[in-house]
Amino acid sequence: MKREYVNIGGRLPRVDGMVKAAGEAMYTGDLSLPGMLHGKLLRSPHPHARLLKVDTAPALTLEGVRAVITGEDTLKFLAGGIASPGNEPYLAFEKVRFVGDAVAAVAAVDEETAERALALIDVEYELLDPVLDPFAAMAPGSPLVHDDAPGNISFETDLSFGNAQRAFATCDYVRYDEFKTAPIRHGFIEPHAALASWDTSGRLTFWGSKQSPYFTYRNMAKALDIPMSKVRIMQSYLGGGFGGKNEMFNLDFCAALLSMKTRRPVRIVVSQEEVLYAYRQRHPAWIKLQSGFMKDGTLVAVDAEIVAEGGAYKGIGALSLYLMCTFLALPYRVANLRAKGCRVYTNTQPSCAMRGHGVPQVRYAAEVQLDMAARELGLDPLEIRLKNAIQSGDTTGNGFEITSCGLSETLLEARGIVERWRGETPADSEPHLKRGIGVASYGYLSGPRMAGHNTSAALIKVHEDGRVGLVTGSTDCGQGSDTVLSQIAAEVLGIHLDDVQYGGMDSEIVPLDPGVFGSRVTFITGNAVKWAAEDVRAQLAGVAAGLLDAEPDDLEFRDRRVFVRDEPDRGLPFAKLVKSAQYSGTGMTILGRGYWAPEDIDLPRFDTGMGNQSGAYSFGTQVAEVEVDTETGRVKVLRLAVSHDCGQPINEMLVEGQLEGSSIGGIGHTFTETIQRRRGQTMNASFLEYRMPTALDACPVEVTHTDTVDEMGPFGAKESGEGVQVAVMPALVSAVHDAVGVWFKEVPITPEVVVEALGRGAEAAQNADARRGADARRDSRDDGRSRDGESA
Amino acid sequence: MFLPDFDYHAPETLAEACDLVRDLGPSAKVLAGGTDLLIKLKHGLVTPTAVISLKALDELKTITHVPGRGVVIGARATHNDLVNSPLLHERFLSVSEAAHKLANNQVRNRGTVGGNLVNAIPSADLPPILIALDAWITLVGSNTSRTVPLHSFFTGPSCCVIDPVDEILTEIVLPDQQTTGSTYLKFALRRSGALSVTGVAVAVTMDGDTIVDSRICLGAVFPVPVRANDAEDLLRGKTWSDELLAEAGEAASCCALPITDIRGTAEYRLDLVRVLTKRALKRAITEGHV
Repeated sequence: MKREYVNIGGRLPRVDGMVKAAGEAMYTGDLSLPGMLHGKLLRSPHPHARLLKVDTAPALTLEGVRAVITGEDTLKFLAGGIASPGNEPYLAFEKVRFVGDAVAAVAAVDEETAERALALIDVEYELLDPVLDPFAAMAPGSPLVHDDAPGNISFETDLSFGNAQRAFATCDYVRYDEFKTAPIRHGFIEPHAALASWDTSGRLTFWGSKQSPYFTYRNMAKALDIPMSKVRIMQSYLGGGFGGKNEMFNLDFCAALLSMKTRRPVRIVVSQEEVLYAYRQRHPAWIKLQSGFMKDGTLVAVDAEIVAEGGAYKGIGALSLYLMCTFLALPYRVANLRAKGCRVYTNTQPSCAMRGHGVPQVRYAAEVQLDMAARELGLDPLEIRLKNAIQSGDTTGNGFEITSCGLSETLLEARGIVERWRGETPADSEPHLKRGIGVASYGYLSGPRMAGHNTSAALIKVHEDGRVGLVTGSTDCGQGSDTVLSQIAAEVLGIHLDDVQYGGMDSEIVPLDPGVFGSRVTFITGNAVKWAAEDVRAQLAGVAAGLLDAEPDDLEFRDRRVFVRDEPDRGLPFAKLVKSAQYSGTGMTILGRGYWAPEDIDLPRFDTGMGNQSGAYSFGTQVAEVEVDTETGRVKVLRLAVSHDCGQPINEMLVEGQLEGSSIGGIGHTFTETIQRRRGQTMNASFLEYRMPTALDACPVEVTHTDTVDEMGPFGAKESGEGVQVAVMPALVSAVHDAVGVWFKEVPITPEVVVEALGRGAEAAQNADARRGADARRDSRDDGRSRDGESA
Repeated sequence: MFLPDFDYHAPETLAEACDLVRDLGPSAKVLAGGTDLLIKLKHGLVTPTAVISLKALDELKTITHVPGRGVVIGARATHNDLVNSPLLHERFLSVSEAAHKLANNQVRNRGTVGGNLVNAIPSADLPPILIALDAWITLVGSNTSRTVPLHSFFTGPSCCVIDPVDEILTEIVLPDQQTTGSTYLKFALRRSGALSVTGVAVAVTMDGDTIVDSRICLGAVFPVPVRANDAEDLLRGKTWSDELLAEAGEAASCCALPITDIRGTAEYRLDLVRVLTKRALKRAITEGHV
């Protein structure tokens, strides 16, 4: 049941927009303190080597150098690890495991001196054979990245329900394909930055650039072996994260330890080049996929073997692998599934979460294979999706409970878009230019259940002028959560968005909150904010009931007023009510408290993938139109459309921003982005050669909302953003196939790859036509139907 | 990643600048826009003890037509000066368009045409179109001044005939000419902010449908920008057709000797030479200087 809201669902401008646009927003790298020192990290130039000696003495003699630390100066805390203990030192001891692994850190009076000091640190390495490929890493006798990980196996997940092998025998059509995805980078514009200040009372104040400051809070206390009460973590504005700023990193630790050693504030801001070669990447994945169908397109069984390159350390990779397995079939119904996943160590930069977290890799494979099967079975790509679309009330074989689901509606919407676009698309203008349209669907979670703490928290403080302050443990990494959470508070309290001031993250004030990952904020933190605001409202309603001689339950909070429902004249301004509560008698402190996590959500079984992982799931369908130049191989993305179900959008403009961002990001993942390495060295550690799309490479994105109302979500809202990232690659790959008749089972599809596939010279265009023609003939042969508007 | 220490000079006159270049010798580097030099300095790829900035020499920034000489472009004109020059729009829009394809807007605001030439990287975007338009340049020394045809200016990657201890590149001249069309096609892996995988510039002189003459220059497929002489010979005096232009593309690919790097393989670059040559010729023949 939908209702009218004042602050929910509209197109309100983001609350941090002006400050950011004006250049006034202070990011961690902009902050400085009196007497501050500058830190730099020395990084391994080798992919795999034993540390024989790290002599810091020469560096310490350089004027202006205040401290140099190595692994030996640390407590040898090992970071990371979900499902099993972590294995990543903040400063290497014994071994270095990838090019960029940190060996030492320097604090000096300025950055230049610190950098000069790095060159004076004398490190002696014994070079070890590196393992640079996951399959070589698994081979018997391969060197080990970690001695306690035989076969270089980092983690394994084996999810099984039904009986896929037996079910294949009953299928009309079974196909097997192998897919591969690339290592890619998050591409945030603000590099990692940390500012730490230690004082003689033993207290550490830390400003970081973190999506989840509490992870750093917790790890900082452990790594330095100090009480959590002695750590204060604050968060300034964040310049993007995309999953790459969840964890506490070596620079965070080194800034803190160097500050302890020098008793001076220490700031470390790494270069974008360091971000690109020495921090995190998306897991590249090799996916062997077999799917079985009935003639009518019913998906009967799926079997996948997934190898994910984890790089040098464990990090949160177990969760990545688990998500790859558990999202193998969503958003479709399937009764028999086996997903065997293996995360493998290599001597490359560690893989971690990135927008869509593991799911884009497997769903690229599965959606493309679904399209291939549709062609072979003579079915329309949208029909086969509608046939198998998961529905509200379904429970998947591994236990995902689908409470609200508008997938079928988004598919019907997409059908309209495809028909319209086919009508608008002119015939190929020149022989070498081929156009095509593709579709793909997705399902995604609204916050994953993690192994440990999962509850978001919010506090609302009411000021005497009727304005309120709101804090939560979430950080706005660009997605707009400060605005969304403020809207929720304003809606509950019947005040204006302007009346809510979203406060920064400060561990001194904000209760324990896991922060930002897995599309959890609107759904989980949003509910915590709603609860905190309801707490405020209940406290104020008690006072207002006395003043208005009414029952608290009969009061309505709206438009900065509190009044008896259906009697708008019997009321008083919100600000006046607050003052009455605070000034009368003993006076009240109006402080709202809220905390929330979905109940009855299972602890994740990382090894078997069983259990319900989230309180709600989002769905949607992506449509893409491309033009392929068969002679140069260039693919131009002409337009994209997303039809999506994110429940009730809290802010339509922000939702559109999320969907557009994911869509354009997908263009890079499909066509241009990959980390190029040679012998473990990153060859393109710059934004010049690591080619994310620019504004000129972007295209228009049409967005259609299919609103459902999720019973559990705040005002019916679910996640929006990461989900769309899942469907862009397959939609684009499918569009390319529609254009030139070639399936690409490996991304990125660079122009050169297209040329290789089509053949060279003038024959390329003919090959494309022939391949397309073959498809069209097969379609009409199989069911007497031709594809929309093509063979005519 | 910091600038090393060096002496900084900003001479007020060209003569003074030339004297400094001569006096400071190989330990000095000339600074124009700095979009290449400053990066090299920060990475320690060059280690001069002195930098001579041309920033005060405003006479090197103009773009004018000098009767009898042609369009004279000052070496300090920025890429965006080329992009926005009404004179170039009128006479050689192709040069403005080529400049617009270079790097991104920030670099085009700072980088200069002279710097782009002296930096001499094989994938540079301006040399092919300037060579196709038969440009020549002026090199001024403390006591000398000489003109050099641009096609014989480059001697290898990051190498050119300029005397680094005596000369400054002061101007680029596009002579008055009979050409009826010219264009530069760049293929990069992104629409902006990307180095060329292959670039092809052509200039043609047409008499009706007959190709009286043509100049074709290939970028990023040889240690220096290279003329596709075989293709030019093949076209001379012929009536143009799509088949003929495709043959010219084939012939042009025989003049290239590309390498494989992170932007593309040698084989793919040859594909691009074939395609871009064909397309560039058609564009110049049918659309003029674009």
